[in-house]
Parts: sequence; C-alpha cells; structure tokens
Amino acid sequence: MPAALITGINGQDGSYLAEFLLAKGYRVVGTTPDRSSDQQLILHICDRIEIVETDLLGQESVEDLLRNSKPDEVYNLAARASSRDLWTQPVATGDLNGLTVARLLDGIRRIDPRIRFVQASSSEVFGNTAETPQTEATAFQPRNPYGAAKAYGHWITSVYRQHEGLFACSSILYNHESPRRKIDYVTRKISRAAALISLEEEKELRLGRLDARRDWGFAGDYVRAMWLMLQQALPDDYIVATGETHSVRDFCAAAFAHVGLDYRDFVLEDAADCRPPETGLLAGNPAKAHRVLGWKPAVGFQDLVRMMVDADLQTVRSGEIHVRHTLSKQSSGATNQEKTAMQENLS
Amino acid sequence: MKRALITGITGQDGSYLAELLLPKGYEVHGIKRRSSSFNTGRIDNILPDWHEREARLFLHFADLSDSTSLIKLLCQIQPDEIYHLGAQSHVRVSYEIPEYTGDVTALGTIRLLEAIRVVNFKTKFYQASSSEMFGTTPEYPQSETTPFRPSSPYACAKLYAHWMAVNYRESYGLFACNGILFNHESPRRGETFVSRKITRGVARIRAGLQEKLYMGNLDAKRDWGYTPEYVEAMWRMMQMERPDDFVVATGETHSVREFLETAFAYAGLDWEKYVEIDSRYFRPVEVDHLEGDASKAERILGWRPKVKFHDLVRLMVDSDTQLLEDQLSGQLARCASARD
Repeated sequence: MPAALITGINGQDGSYLAEFLLAKGYRVVGTTPDRSSDQQLILHICDRIEIVETDLLGQESVEDLLRNSKPDEVYNLAARASSRDLWTQPVATGDLNGLTVARLLDGIRRIDPRIRFVQASSSEVFGNTAETPQTEATAFQPRNPYGAAKAYGHWITSVYRQHEGLFACSSILYNHESPRRKIDYVTRKISRAAALISLEEEKELRLGRLDARRDWGFAGDYVRAMWLMLQQALPDDYIVATGETHSVRDFCAAAFAHVGLDYRDFVLEDAADCRPPETGLLAGNPAKAHRVLGWKPAVGFQDLVRMMVDADLQTVRSGEIHVRHTLSKQSSGATNQEKTAMQENLS
Repeated sequence: MKRALITGITGQDGSYLAELLLPKGYEVHGIKRRSSSFNTGRIDNILPDWHEREARLFLHFADLSDSTSLIKLLCQIQPDEIYHLGAQSHVRVSYEIPEYTGDVTALGTIRLLEAIRVVNFKTKFYQASSSEMFGTTPEYPQSETTPFRPSSPYACAKLYAHWMAVNYRESYGLFACNGILFNHESPRRGETFVSRKITRGVARIRAGLQEKLYMGNLDAKRDWGYTPEYVEAMWRMMQMERPDDFVVATGETHSVREFLETAFAYAGLDWEKYVEIDSRYFRPVEVDHLEGDASKAERILGWRPKVKFHDLVRLMVDSDTQLLEDQLSGQLARCASARD
C-alpha cells in the first residue's frame, strides 16, 4: 500500500486530496498545526487517516515527521493562505510558505531521496506579469508577500530537483474553489450570499471590484493533477488551470441565476474593499498538463458555481450554519454534489 | 548630518561603503553579530578610538534573525539611509545550510522591512541583490528585465528578498532600491571566494609557502568588477529622486581559467603547474555565464566602472603579495594565520 504525507490536510485541498488518495488505496498521513485548528473538513474521514500535529517550522520536527510517517509521496499544501493574509505577518508567511519547502526537501534528501514531492505553487508567483495567458516559461513577478514566498518555494523545489536529483515538482495552481472554500474568499462569499439572500436571510452583498477576472477551477480536479505529476517517469513543473477567465460579475450572475435571482438587485460594488494593487491578469495555459499528464478539469465554471451555491443552500437549510453570527463555521464533509464530482474524477 | 545604517558592515562591501560615506559627512552605524572571534578586521582601520570625541562610526550588536533587535536599533538610530548588505553570502555553502541561508538572507530582509514599516517610513532602503538570481538563465548579457532563474539556495533567498523590496516599494511607497550587483572583488574579498582564493594562492605559491591550488569549475564565466566602485553605485541609487532597480556590472565576462592565467602570469608563474581540480569545489548546479548590462546605471546614475578585469586581478595579486610580506616580516601584529 503506497503511503502519502499531506501537509495541511485540514484545508480545502488537503481534505479533497485525502479523499482522493484513500479511494486509490493509499495510507494517508496528514499534518495540522494543532488540535484547536479547524478540523471540520476532515471529520468524515478522520478514522481512516493519521493526523500529526506539527507547525513544520523546525528542521527536527520535519525530519521526525518524515521518519515516522514513511511516505512514498509528499504533498506540501500547508501555507498561510487566506486572502487576508497576503500582507499580514510576512515573516510568518515566509517561514511556513517558503522555508518549510526547503526543510521538507532537505529532510527528504537525507532520510530517503526516493520520496516523491509536489509543492503547491501558486499563480500568485506571476503577480504583475504582462504576459497572458501564463505558461511554465512565463517569468515570475510576485506582487505580494504571499506570492514572493510561494516563488521561493517554487525555485527551491527546482534547485533540489536539479541539485539532488529529487523527484520534486511544482504545481502552479490557479484559483481553485469548492464548497469547502473558506468564507473570506470571494467565490464562497458570493455562493453563500446567493443562498442566504434566496432564503431571505440576508439582503445584500458588498464586494470589491466586480470586473476583476480570475481563472477559477474546482479544487477536486486540481488535487488530481498533483497526484498525476507524481506518477510520471520524470519530475517537472506544471500549470494547473482551466484556461478560462471569468469576472467576479460573471460569478455573481451565475450564482444568483441559479437561485432564480438577478445579482444586480443585491450586489453592491464597494471601492473600499478593493485589494491593493492589482494589475496583471492571471490566466493559466494548462496545455502542458493536458499533453503530458492527460489532465483536464472535469468541473466547468457553471457547474462549479452551482455546486457551491447548492452546498450553501443545503447547509443553510439544515441549520448547520447560524448565518448571521458564526462567520467562521465551515460546512462539514462532502455534499452530494461534491461526491458526484469526486466520483467523476476517480473514474 | 545624514545617518546611515549598514547591515553587514564587517564584510567586504560594508567596509568600503563605510569608507565612502564617512568622508561625505555621514554618521555611519553598523550592525555586527556577536562572535567569539574578531570579526571587524576589515573596518579596524576606520573604527574610532573609544576616547575620540568626534567619532562618527558606531557598531551595534544586532542580528537579522532577531526582529526585536532590529526594531530597537531603528528606533535608536533613526537612519536616513539603510544599506542592507548582511547575508549568508556564500553560494556553495548555501547548499549545506539552506534553512539558515533562507532565514538570514530572505527572512532577515523581511524582518528589516517590517521593522522599517513599524518604526519609520521615511528611511531609504538599499537591498543588495545579486547576479546569482539570474542563475541558469540562457539569456545574456543580463539586464534589469532579464527573467530570473535561481539555481542555489542562496540565489532563491536573494530573489525572495529582492521581490519583497519591490513589494514594499510598490505597495507601501517605501524608497527601496535593488542593486543587482555582479561579482565584485577586492583585496578584502573573503578568502573562500574564488577570486581571492586565487590571488592569495598566487602570493603564497610565489613565496614558497604553498605548492598547489585546488580549484573547481574553471569554465564558469563571471562579470568581475572592483568593489569600491560598486559601493559608489549603491550610494548613487539612494540619492535619486525615485527608487528603482539597477544592474551593476562591468559588461565584460571572463572565465575562472582566465582569472588563473592572468594572476599567475602577472606573478611570472605558469598556472598549469600549480592548479589541480578538486571536484569538491564544484557547485551542484553551475551557473555558466554571468555578464551584466549596466547601461541603465550608466544612463541614470552616471555610473561607469573604471577598473576592469586585468587591473583588478593585478591589484589583488599585489595586495596579497604585500599582505604576505607584512605577515612574514612580522609587521602585522595580529596577522591572520595561514589556515591551510
């Protein structure tokens, strides 16, 4: 039975990846920062995975983790990642999103260089680039501390691939969403607001720039791409994206239409909520992943929006979220829509 | 009177920069790390006597891995200009200590930028970026617009710091300049760096103290300039109206082999009789060809290097020859003992 180590298993991507690997017959070990951190997303599989508490911030703890979990594959997803954390505590961001990549790779080199490694790199490494769409050859130009730390993680991964011959890949992931997205991300804000407004629990939604465009995919598809990278003969870097961009406005229109409403009646553009500075258009060209990995996203934009709205409707109706007061609660486990999507992934 | 803070003042660049700033009337503050051995050799000649009343050079204990020490220091000094030269600066060593290199070279820069943000925005900030960030790029000569492709933990860390300086400039309006310096050498270059290793080796071989010189990859090509001129470029960047990034280079590229030939020939020796190749000195990933295009620095800063390759090699051989003579004749009371 192959074994996988997933750092940050309690996040959106970690939980999808854990489900995916369990279905493939893997033994799955995952890390979380501590017991008080949010474990909602992995509650439904917690009896089938091993959880290790570690902050990943010291070489000794990383090496203990590798020695004890004995993985064949390491998926490094742990990161300070919330959209609000792009600029806060940049040293902490650098320590976890940047230096921990070096710690893991250096540990692998010493403990077992056969371990395969994939780094969750990010489209944020391209930042202010003038080149659209971006490919694996596009020059990096990160525009915030999060992107700069991810760029470091990306390059240090390539150094260990060239230098130590490690099987180390970077997956340059574009925005990937799901019903498990945290609610401070714009997609989840919208899907949740559409659900709440349709049930007359809320009246309006205030957003930043509505014409901001993103390349949005389904997180369940993206973790499958990471797995595929580690099944190849040679390690490499890949863009993981849909190749399509949509505006925040498009997302609103689709989400509200799904509940029979016109977004223009409820969505307000709030200039004060616009994030600083935003210039480049992040749109990925996933041709290499298509060609080499045979990877294509199974869930398109409209399906993704509907899946997220349906999940939010379900949780609001079932009373799992006390909407007005507990903003931090997440929906637990996989919804039916997600399960269908995951099954499509696996097939 | 302007106040400057130099991190890495005990290093090659820091010592020349301090010597440049003092005659311009600056009050110069430097950070030094606690060390059980002397680490101020390069600035001992300009360090004031404790009793001197007019002292304008001050050293402080602080550390790039300690945010508190940086914030305290900035509060105390309130510098007009910060020259951030401190780093774990050895490329090959960075493969052995990647975490430490990342912590000091990259996170150390972020700690300093955060300290500036917390304490006082009005200071100017110079970041010592490096041609190593271009790494294995196939494009040359390299300019400010050439894409980076770092190939060592050192280069990854320097590039991370570079982008953070850009981020703080663009988002917080900090006056931050990146000087992308190509190799810059001098008699004060650390003895483990290839240029100094060669010139020191030549002096010792000629004096009969050493028989062989063990080298790594002789085909690596570098753009080698003279450090005192490069610190002048740093200072000029900081006097501009608006902050920007500049490549600082000679525009000439020469191989390590040429450096050997030139240095040995200048001493009247045939390099091939003395040089042996030792694979331990090879880097895991070799950066083949660094050649800088400093036309922007010339156009905007009016900066042009005068000391080119051959002069540089000769002045370094002369200096190491003189240093050795002084050591042998006992003129240097506290001489660096020959370690190898």
